[in-house]
Amino acid sequence: MKFRMSTAKTLITAGALVVLAGCGSGGSGGASGPAATGGPVHGGNLVFAAVQDAQSMNNTTVFDNNSIWIFEQIFQPLYTVTDNGKGVKPWLATSYTMSTDKKTYTFKLRPGVKFSNGKPMTSADVRFSIDQNRKATQGWAYLDSAISSVDAPDPSTVVIHLKFPWAPLLADLSIFANGIVPNNYGGQTEAQFYQHPIGTGPFKWDYWHKGQALKLVRNTFYWQKGLPYLNSITWTDVANDNTRELQLKGGQAQIDQTPAWSTVSSLKSTAGVVMHLFNSTQTNYLAFNELRKPFQDVHVRRAISLAIDRNALVKAVLFGNGKPANSLFPPQVPFYQASTPGLQLNIAQAKAEMAKSSVPHGFTTTILVPAGNSDYVTIATILQSELKPLGIKLNITQLDPNVVNKDEQSLKYDMVLTLWTMDIPDPDELATFAVDPKSGARSFFTNYDNPTVVKDTHLAERTTDPAARQTLYNIVQAGAANDAFMAFLYYSPYPYATTTNVHGFFVTPLGNMHMENVWLSK
Amino acid sequence: MGRMTFVVRRLLMLVPVAIGVTIVVFFMIHLIPGDPAQTILGIHATPKAIAILHRQWGLNRPLVSQYWLFMDRLVHGNLGLSLYYGTSAASLILSRLPATLWLIAYAAVLAVAVSVPLAMIAATRKDAVRDHVVRAVPLLGLGMPPFWVGILLVYALAIHVHAFPVSGYGTGFGGHLHAMFLPALTVAIALAPVVIRSLRASMLNVLGAEYITTARSKGVPGPRLFLRHVLRNAVIPAVTVLGINIGFLIGGTVIIENVFAIPGIGQLMINSIFQRDFPVVQGVTLVFGVLVVLVNLLADLSYAALDPRVRFDR
Repeated sequence: MKFRMSTAKTLITAGALVVLAGCGSGGSGGASGPAATGGPVHGGNLVFAAVQDAQSMNNTTVFDNNSIWIFEQIFQPLYTVTDNGKGVKPWLATSYTMSTDKKTYTFKLRPGVKFSNGKPMTSADVRFSIDQNRKATQGWAYLDSAISSVDAPDPSTVVIHLKFPWAPLLADLSIFANGIVPNNYGGQTEAQFYQHPIGTGPFKWDYWHKGQALKLVRNTFYWQKGLPYLNSITWTDVANDNTRELQLKGGQAQIDQTPAWSTVSSLKSTAGVVMHLFNSTQTNYLAFNELRKPFQDVHVRRAISLAIDRNALVKAVLFGNGKPANSLFPPQVPFYQASTPGLQLNIAQAKAEMAKSSVPHGFTTTILVPAGNSDYVTIATILQSELKPLGIKLNITQLDPNVVNKDEQSLKYDMVLTLWTMDIPDPDELATFAVDPKSGARSFFTNYDNPTVVKDTHLAERTTDPAARQTLYNIVQAGAANDAFMAFLYYSPYPYATTTNVHGFFVTPLGNMHMENVWLSK
Repeated sequence: MGRMTFVVRRLLMLVPVAIGVTIVVFFMIHLIPGDPAQTILGIHATPKAIAILHRQWGLNRPLVSQYWLFMDRLVHGNLGLSLYYGTSAASLILSRLPATLWLIAYAAVLAVAVSVPLAMIAATRKDAVRDHVVRAVPLLGLGMPPFWVGILLVYALAIHVHAFPVSGYGTGFGGHLHAMFLPALTVAIALAPVVIRSLRASMLNVLGAEYITTARSKGVPGPRLFLRHVLRNAVIPAVTVLGINIGFLIGGTVIIENVFAIPGIGQLMINSIFQRDFPVVQGVTLVFGVLVVLVNLLADLSYAALDPRVRFDR
């Protein structure tokens, strides 16, 4: 017997069984712009002023967001992330069935989908694309590690065989790395193909002048009739915050990626500009290295976590545009639990924890901060004064960002500031990365090890019943919070500023943008 | 020694300069901590993944062996592959070089265009009000940081008046001329005060010379006297000052390129340092070194063009 899961059911399941608590991080969310006079219009070139240039268009190996957000307009996966970031919806597939042993998924492909060169997409393309990602030694293959093989029994059917039941499969398939490319790269080598890639997305390749601009133009074979609205999009490399803002005000760019937090308030009241704060999955943490004394001591970690005034951090760093964090998971992740007892400011309790610790009279320690990152310097300075009442003398060491990363990943630090944004609409990737000391990241580079939390994290991977998964993830979140292996600091939104003639611009909590829905009014 | 011999000799001097630059930069960039593999892989960097990339890039070899490989490639005109983009470092640098050259040349032309008339105005009426104004007002440009001047110019001439684009490089000759005006003017404002003061001082010296008195007594008309006798003789020290300042400017373009989002090699250099993109950093530094030497050579050659008494054997 097979279970058939329809489109509607998928959406309902993804949405309804997730505990929805806390919505957003102070952001306004929602699609862009004031109401336009009249409906969408076709045409125009949109200039997107990005913080930095893309690195590569190879969707199976690149970790850089500025590359990902561009090639997502070219490559599309079988399922895509819903607007609330908590589920998936059919995209190049229309539906799937699951075998009774939950180890075989059969997908029906959307009819009429063509690549931007006019050739129809078939199951052979899907099989090739997923297999390529599975082979990528330097990339996202780990997300497909549950897949044992992919079959293409007929041109419109794809069968994925798993090594074991795997709950996050659809979420994993929705990642850009599983985006569909032509079988055998259309006869080219991998390197040649990614110089001018071909996909089924709303836009197709035009040019890339590295360090200057990358342009995509409308894909006339796009499967959603009438879309995209824009003729083209040009991403420009504008590193300076001020210059991006000036370009927006001067009409030279229509979207400013990541305006400085200090300017958000003034941009909200600037004529001709719309300031967006989209809900995101970005969470900032303070990590403790449990290989070093006294951070093996849970009381020390709890004391520090209890001494941090998260509202003060939100006010000082995000200018109020965020929310204190209570859980390892951000609110936009499925199975986030709003009632997770994440430790919040309580000086009396912090002192009590210190009294119970191995260093009741305090100690001297160091926090690593990337030089030039004013947000992190601000956080470190606030922490320095907040930990003083506990007898903790905090030295701030500013180093080159590259060196901070290296020291963090080699566990050569006492405390370090770090962050996470989700890649898939499922907590598994974050949970495994953060709490399993045997994962490549050694528990988010902290060496934290709680066998119960680890066991439940892996149990949740193979539990397909959403209610049972919720129970398991509640235990994981509570365990991680009580152990305070990291201090959960704050959740922040994605800031984007656009000109008022930009409509339909929306960013999902995972950072995905459906630029096919964006249009420019006159 | 003839002019050609002088030029060839100076060009040959580029070789030891370039080698010196490569040695200093190569070992400095490799000795500072930080790893390009770590940058590219981010939090997904595992020891195995890092080791694979190091092997691919040859970073697992001894440093001296890496330098030898770099020099071997260099003499074959190959700067290696950018670790970040995976494309040729030389083509990356060449695609960004025109924007920087445009900025430097345009700024130098504007600085000269502003400095010469102002210096003449000041020198012809020493200690008069206009002399004091010309000596004092441009100093404001020297005192204000270029990024601030740039932002003020953008607000005034691009946001409010819409006469120029906010930033960028433009396309085609006319496009570059239009788009690069504000950045070039920003640089020229910082450059001009030094040139004006130098030119004014040497003009005052020349104006007191006996041959000028002689020319005046022979009835040489004012404009001709100024252009043929005063300016030509007074400009030599100013050329030296301009040459030295352009040398500094070549290394300092990064701030202006950043403020005006100009895709030049200054920006490329900074990004490449943060990404630990060794081949590109080495390549850009080499280009900077060569440019500074060439600008100084050009300044030396211009002495001879301006003053026939200048000989090349000293």
